[in-house]
Amino acid sequence: MNREELISKWLDNNLNDQEFKAFKNLEDYDDLVKLNTHLQNFKANNYNTSKQLEDVLFAIKTKKQKPSHWVKPLMRVAAILAVCFSIYYFATTLDTKITTEYAQKTTIKLPDASSVSLNAKTYLAFNKKKWKHEREINLDGEAFFKVAKGSSFKVKTTLGTVTVYGTQFNVKQRENYFEVICYEGLVGVTYRDQETKLKPGDSYLIIDGKVIAKDKENRTMPSWLNNTSIFKSLPYKTIVAEFERQYNVDITLIDIDSEQLFTGSFAHDNMDLAIKSITLPLRATYSKTNNTITIKGE
Amino acid sequence: MEKQLNENICEEHLFSSIFNKYAKDLHNFLYYKYGDLLNPKDKVQEAFIKLWENCAKVTPEKAKSFVFTTANNLMLNEVAHQKVVLKHQQTKPKTHTNENPEFLMQESEYNDKLQKALTNLTDAQRVAFMMNRIEGKRFKEIAELLDISTKAVEKRIYGALAKLRKDIKEL
Repeated sequence: MNREELISKWLDNNLNDQEFKAFKNLEDYDDLVKLNTHLQNFKANNYNTSKQLEDVLFAIKTKKQKPSHWVKPLMRVAAILAVCFSIYYFATTLDTKITTEYAQKTTIKLPDASSVSLNAKTYLAFNKKKWKHEREINLDGEAFFKVAKGSSFKVKTTLGTVTVYGTQFNVKQRENYFEVICYEGLVGVTYRDQETKLKPGDSYLIIDGKVIAKDKENRTMPSWLNNTSIFKSLPYKTIVAEFERQYNVDITLIDIDSEQLFTGSFAHDNMDLAIKSITLPLRATYSKTNNTITIKGE
Repeated sequence: MEKQLNENICEEHLFSSIFNKYAKDLHNFLYYKYGDLLNPKDKVQEAFIKLWENCAKVTPEKAKSFVFTTANNLMLNEVAHQKVVLKHQQTKPKTHTNENPEFLMQESEYNDKLQKALTNLTDAQRVAFMMNRIEGKRFKEIAELLDISTKAVEKRIYGALAKLRKDIKEL
């Protein structure tokens, strides 16, 4: 038996007596034994199997109670619900916005029994959610309100705030023009922190920042609701601006004083007749091309 | 055999018997392969916990390779392949009585050389060799544990021995 085989057998602890003697006689016997002895110093740490088993079983048992299998899906469901809810909440608390375009009129019902009629080119916004606590409307343009009984009702415009104590009134806010007419009940107008109370028939008018006194109003509702605009001693430019809004046209004035006061009316459903109603009294002439009307004075 | 197939590791007594059978070998395998730094004990625990979690899928015959593979993978996840340093046991067996200073120095030198030489072995060589030399396992047992042939084990161990002796002589 050669040396290699002997060593191999020794390694496998498989030497018989005779072979062991031969192995002992090998020249590197001492060397091998020395190596083997020293190797024992590198033995792995003692491994206490039963202690470790206890630990593992303990870990398994405590882990088993961890309800990971239903918490995770539940968290997912919760997350989805949270997202849905926030979208819903966000969407429903947004202001409701209504706008009318040129030559368009509309009437809307507010969350209570109140109703609003919007004249052409008007923007109105209110919050449905807050309506119960606070009846408040943002307005840019002209609208007629029929307010149901209840707590105070506010109409906010960039120029002033109208507070209602239950009634019918018209608010008109255009560029540098702010007019409130009370038709029924009592209306409070706050302008520059000053409140003026309007009784039926009273009106409140501000043009270019100046308060202008007006006669008693005899009608029971604004004329525009009957498709007519009626003006009493108002600057001509106001009439022109209203005309532009009603018919969606551009008006150019030539040789006409836009500040001169004008009293008259025009209908909303017949442009030719309407243009005559606002030019004839001034003895002006007009010409029409596409969407542009030129009014020429004498 | 037929009966065994239907047996389930999920039963605690069977799981325990598998643990008793393989845990120590697995621990030593990890220790000799990766050294002590990466905590072979913890890996054994983790591997067996994984076995429990998958007890319905793993048959008893597959359990051994399952825990070995799992533990090995757990190790590999951590190894940034550091060099393996086997710790030198502080308590030396008192086999020698003639401990004069010179002899002690020689001993310690020899140990250092051996330690370095062990580090230079391949993982496979070291595992087989240490299991054989230190844990006193026969070639056949090692072959079963590592799922390789007896011949391959013999080759690894013999190769490891030759390399060690050569390295020690050179160092």
